[in-house]
Amino acid sequence: MTEYSSEVFDLGYQRYEGPREGRMRARKAIWIDGMRTALGLGRGARAKILPGVLFGFAIFMAVIMSLVATAADSSDDIPTHADYYRIISVILLIFSAIIAPELLCPDRRDGVIYLYLVRPLTTTDYVASRWLAFFSVSMALICSGQLILFVGLTLAADESLSYLKDNWMDVPRFLGAGLVIAVFTTTLPLAVSAFTTRKAYAAAFVIGLFFISAVIAGILTECDPMDLPSERSPGYETALEECEPRTGEVGKWFGLIDIGQVPGHVSDLIMDDESKSQVARQVRKLPTGIPVIWYLIMTAGPGYVLWQRYRRLRV
Amino acid sequence: MSPLLEAKGLTKHYGATIALESVDLQVHEGITGLLGHNGAGKSTAIKLFLGLLMPTSGSAEVMGKKACESVDVRARLGYMPEHDCLPSNPTASEFLTHMAQVSGLPPASARTRAADVLRHVGLSEERYRALGSFSTGMKQRVKLAQALVHDPTIVLLDEATAGLDPGGREEMLDLIRRTGKEFGISILLSSHLMGDIERTCDRIIVLDGGHISEAGSVSRFTRETQNIIIEVDNNLDELVKIMTREGMKATVEGPLVIVELEHEEQYDTIRDAVVEADATLRRLAPRRHGLADIFRGAQS
Repeated sequence: MTEYSSEVFDLGYQRYEGPREGRMRARKAIWIDGMRTALGLGRGARAKILPGVLFGFAIFMAVIMSLVATAADSSDDIPTHADYYRIISVILLIFSAIIAPELLCPDRRDGVIYLYLVRPLTTTDYVASRWLAFFSVSMALICSGQLILFVGLTLAADESLSYLKDNWMDVPRFLGAGLVIAVFTTTLPLAVSAFTTRKAYAAAFVIGLFFISAVIAGILTECDPMDLPSERSPGYETALEECEPRTGEVGKWFGLIDIGQVPGHVSDLIMDDESKSQVARQVRKLPTGIPVIWYLIMTAGPGYVLWQRYRRLRV
Repeated sequence: MSPLLEAKGLTKHYGATIALESVDLQVHEGITGLLGHNGAGKSTAIKLFLGLLMPTSGSAEVMGKKACESVDVRARLGYMPEHDCLPSNPTASEFLTHMAQVSGLPPASARTRAADVLRHVGLSEERYRALGSFSTGMKQRVKLAQALVHDPTIVLLDEATAGLDPGGREEMLDLIRRTGKEFGISILLSSHLMGDIERTCDRIIVLDGGHISEAGSVSRFTRETQNIIIEVDNNLDELVKIMTREGMKATVEGPLVIVELEHEEQYDTIRDAVVEADATLRRLAPRRHGLADIFRGAQS
């Protein structure tokens, strides 16, 4: 008979002898955690509702616009990628205002930030990783819809292959325009979130900022209705384009006040399209470089504020 | 052997308030206690070592480098803060796995380490529960676990027993002792509770008003300040009078007479004094000075 012998070992605490990947691993962990937070993953069902609805809406709109393109009688009725951005950028602004504070506020409110900062991670690493996380989700939201629309428009065309051949440049264009929009909608809400530990305050401030600035810009760039022909007359669009705001020559500059449309002016330039909003009409009267410079100021400024705000966590 | 933590002329001012003033200290391997009243500068000292605060002057180095400048050093450093630092949504396992990765461990190793450390702090059964549902004692254990999950060389524990009931406090101290003795991780434990330090630490640094008032091994302090306790049922004043006449330094503390032991023959003298005072002897025993006495001495 074979004798079996066995021994039970209590291994106790084992020192870790494996690899330590340092700063890169730390950055990646914060980035992945940020994306999961933005999408509500690893949290309750309520946290998934808003991202789910917004992603669903983005894709739904792309599908609807593709179907409209299929049924369109003339090329003027076919929706464009720029049209899609005008719809989706409003959704993205709301999404950013509500979700972006989730990435920064709880870490400071719960004190987790101090656990991060004693690990192989700098404040710049932390902020950059959180920024990249939200930017990645925003780009995914934007591009998923645009790609569906591009496929839809290709399939809706009479000659799909020739449509693809003639319009393939739309892809880098809408990716570039999406990048411009996503950078803006990521940076500003995150910068606001750096000043409060309450998510609701940050969200309310950002939405209020977009709304109030849009109302003010709308009033200041409005043309006198007496100068315009009837809305149904053929010259109405031209008159709107050429009219001078009530505020006079300087009125076109007031178009820049509408913060929500700041990335739209640049994305229209990239997409080679023109928005029909009164604010955009007035901004178009400015030299082309002005909206671009304004966009750079409105993204670099909040970005710098965000960075500085976290740098000062070490005092 | 080079120290794990070293402060040279470390000074920190918050405006007109002086938190630390020209502090020189070294912390070597083992368990070191940082004792002091609230506001003595313990948390400030810890945050300066961690790089969370910048010194007004002087330096605070961890393993020869400044933590605020060296991310490599921070990969070998653990910190358990006094304040709340846990999110409520993730489970203990998710949180620890994430913190291990933020410390630089690859995902697979992070998951293994998280499970191991949660077992060591006694939270294996609760690892899949959301942190928001944890009791104060369990949260303290998670805070300790996150400080250990990446297997640091030294852990800085700031008021680790804060908010715990006596049972929970005892368990936490036992866990800290095991971490220092069995796991081989050096510890700097800050506390305003003398008992915590006395029961847990090998060495002690007493901070008072931003200065170091005492430093050395716990056993040295308790050995060098030996007293004798005498408890009698009656004639206490008469006994004290006789002992003073015999040249002994006797003080009364409530129902007890405390005599500073200068040589072993004093036991015979005390016996004779008790007989002469016609007192009924209840207790005659050596007493080691607790850290509380040192602390009081430092204060006075």
